[in-house]
Amino acid sequence: MIMTQEDLTITDPKMTAKGVNVFYGEKQAINDVSIDVGTDLVTAFIGPSGCGKSTFLRSLNRMNDTVAGAKVTGRIELDGEDIYAPSMDVVQLRARVGMVFQKPNPFPKSIYDNVAYGPRIHGLAPNKSDLDGIVEKALTRAGLWDEVKDRLAESGTALSGGQQQRLCIARAIAVDPEVVLMDEPCSALDPIATAKIEELIHELRGKFAIVIVTHNMQQAARVSQRTAFFHLGTLVEYGKTTDIFTNPKQERTKDYITGRYG
Amino acid sequence: MAIVNDHTVKAFDEDLNRLRGLISEMGGRAEQALLQAMTALNKGDLDLAAQVVRDDKKIDALEAEVEQLAVQTIALRAPMADDLREMIAALKIVSVVERIGDYAKNIAKRVALMDQTRSIEAIPLLMSMSNIVVELIHDALDSFAARDADLAVRVTVRDKNVDDFYNSIFRTLVTFMMENPKLISESAHLLFVAKNLERMGDHATNIAEMVYYVVTGGRMEERERGEQPEDGAAEQEQG
Amino acid sequence: MTFNAAALLLLIAGLALIGWIAGRARSNLLAGRAQAKLHSRPQYHGWYVALWLFAPAALFLAVWSAVSPGLITNEVLASEAAKELPAFGFERGAILSDARNVAQGKQEAVRIAAATPLVKPYADATHRYAWIGIAAMLALALAGGLYAFTRIKPDFRARTRVEKIVMLLLLLASLVAILTTFGIVLSLLFESIRFFRLVSPTELLFGTQWAPTSGAPQPDTFGGIPLFWGTILIGAIIAMIVAIPIGMMSAVYLTQYANPRVRKWVKPCLEILAGVPTVVYGYFAALTVAPALREFAVAIGIPNASTESALAAGIVMGVMIIPFVSSMADDSINAVPQAMRDGSLALGATPNETIRQVLIPAALPGVMGGILLAVSRAIGETMIVVMAAGLSANMTANPFASVTTVTAQIVKLLTGDQEFDSAKTLAAFALGLVLFVVTLLLNIVALRIVKKYREAYE
Repeated sequence: MIMTQEDLTITDPKMTAKGVNVFYGEKQAINDVSIDVGTDLVTAFIGPSGCGKSTFLRSLNRMNDTVAGAKVTGRIELDGEDIYAPSMDVVQLRARVGMVFQKPNPFPKSIYDNVAYGPRIHGLAPNKSDLDGIVEKALTRAGLWDEVKDRLAESGTALSGGQQQRLCIARAIAVDPEVVLMDEPCSALDPIATAKIEELIHELRGKFAIVIVTHNMQQAARVSQRTAFFHLGTLVEYGKTTDIFTNPKQERTKDYITGRYG
Repeated sequence: MAIVNDHTVKAFDEDLNRLRGLISEMGGRAEQALLQAMTALNKGDLDLAAQVVRDDKKIDALEAEVEQLAVQTIALRAPMADDLREMIAALKIVSVVERIGDYAKNIAKRVALMDQTRSIEAIPLLMSMSNIVVELIHDALDSFAARDADLAVRVTVRDKNVDDFYNSIFRTLVTFMMENPKLISESAHLLFVAKNLERMGDHATNIAEMVYYVVTGGRMEERERGEQPEDGAAEQEQG
Repeated sequence: MTFNAAALLLLIAGLALIGWIAGRARSNLLAGRAQAKLHSRPQYHGWYVALWLFAPAALFLAVWSAVSPGLITNEVLASEAAKELPAFGFERGAILSDARNVAQGKQEAVRIAAATPLVKPYADATHRYAWIGIAAMLALALAGGLYAFTRIKPDFRARTRVEKIVMLLLLLASLVAILTTFGIVLSLLFESIRFFRLVSPTELLFGTQWAPTSGAPQPDTFGGIPLFWGTILIGAIIAMIVAIPIGMMSAVYLTQYANPRVRKWVKPCLEILAGVPTVVYGYFAALTVAPALREFAVAIGIPNASTESALAAGIVMGVMIIPFVSSMADDSINAVPQAMRDGSLALGATPNETIRQVLIPAALPGVMGGILLAVSRAIGETMIVVMAAGLSANMTANPFASVTTVTAQIVKLLTGDQEFDSAKTLAAFALGLVLFVVTLLLNIVALRIVKKYREAYE
């Protein structure tokens, strides 16, 4: 792996991975990946299908734990704390490292209850008005408040695809996480809805450390400041997004982003 | 940096190849225009000079075509990394080549204004200078076609020779003008011709810099242009 | 020479094969000669000929098999020898069948002397009708085959025709099921109408006294409410109190917690429970559960505890329904997208919170559908209640008391020597109709709910 520029060094990383391997049963999905995720940055993971970028993302909040036979070795730290340590409570971890999925997956509940779900299970709101406040803030941050404020009691599944995905983002940020992981959040959306999500990511930058996996290189180029290129389970190149897209150092990266990938 | 893999989308490669073909044709025409203009100047051949002026329109047309193709490719193929750099370089290179063509045309236009210049001793110097400039332009465009950063660096190094020639021609013409006040007008024209040649050399350097950027993704460092005396390679090139 | 339907079927099948080969060859030949491209591939021409050859002949065969014995008997009866037969009754039938069996070679000699003169007319008639049948069948087969054969041309659309014929055959098959249901409803309806001429529908539906066997001096009463209540108490209340929680919990365990190896063993075991004959459950309820419950009831001081208790029947019925509820709940929980579960877990919810707050609410419509289907099965269940719940029509909420259900009463009304035109017997059909309508409605509602729910995640 090559750091493309000296000024890439992230002085205050939110999350740090050191020599991470992920196995699914016998198969090794991730091979010796080390990476720093900056606090105020949007970090994009790109790479061809099956390169392990989603697998790696899911190991950052231990969602791989839910997959039978998955095993993670190496060290992943959140603020210097090993997230795979026995003392780490996975429930707490996921409250700090939220996740948004590929397909919008609102619960079959009202819009309000969708957003209030996390704060309720974590007991963040002592009373109804506090909860109202949290819901409004999350929906506002997700750019959805104006569209849904008059119909909070309607089912979340009745919204359009793009609205559903923003609802899912609101749901994730309602518990005030430190990191938001996004696993191809726009792959099921049309270009307009995609643009709104990208604008939202831009707005959220600085409030949360954001890591986004995307198939769409243009999207990585548009929303991120750091880009990591994964190939066959390894991290091939990690650097400033501008460098990766104008002047990648690795032949494999160049071939992938210029469309010469086998 | 050889291009090993083709693009998955073959039509993209076709667009790129067409773009490269157009640029190389345009460069060829610019070189030829310069050669013809200098021949016309040397021999006082007004017909040839008129032809250079006419042919410049083709160079302009080629520039427009390349611009259109590049814009189209950027819009439709969203090129990245070296492809993107090549698009941008292509746009810049054609505008430089077009300028070279304009200078050649400018020289050709001056032929008609100078009927007694054959005796001026600066002419052979100008011919030698133009030979170097033609080579520089040729090599700069070759380096683009071959993605050859080393050749591009050598072009920028050799541009120093052109500058030296210019300085020497300048001194020669100024002395000549002081000795032959009647021929001041013609001499002044020749001075402009020399200046045009010097500018063409600079443009060849610009092309080489663009090629360097396309190939490496970085800007050419000052020391790579051989402007520091201890650079042995540069000394050798001058010899 | 007798009329052997199976052999003849084979014969026309063989002819059809020849027709298939011939049709295929002819289409190839014609196509080659006319230098034309066939509209349909040669096989389809073959199938077209084969179907035309086979279908009418087979249909005729079926009809002929059904009507020819009657025709034969008629002819024998018209013969001279039949004049001496007894006019009616059992003896006449015995003589005829004796003669028929000898004539058709099923037995060596006559057992009844009077049958002897009839043997020869029987044999003749059988022989003749067999020949008529075979000739007609072959004629039909050949006519059909020839008709189809002559229609083969390169541009003949054999494929569309064959597909249409096949579609008709499939339609016919599905019509059998529908027509059967329709027939059942009709027969129930006619018998019920006869019953309602004797007893008014309102009495059946809203009367509170069920005493069809009281006899004189009081008239029979047909108030269905005690039966309906018994049915609901056992099938919809006690059985569901047992089946819903256990079924749901086992479904949650199997879908969320069980590792694949456990699931591989437990699920089939649960499904075996569904395959146990209900009569076995009945034994279990009557011989094991009911006495145990009675002792328990006596021990806690319930006075009129009976060995035939609603509770015993209900509990066992609930156990019987568990796999039903469990597999419906299992399906609905599995149908909740994994993304939903991930979404909840990613917010830091525990698996338990995820199940309670996301999975079960999302699966609820499907689970409700499953429960309604289970209820409709429970109220239609017969053996367990007949064996364990008793037959006394009590209106009681005491689960230790004996109650009876609609199905149990139907069994009671129809068993034993009964004349088929008394109100008592007809009441069974009316009860059957009520049961049918209720389960039909439950099924419709349940399937609606399940379908609507399925669409939500597509």
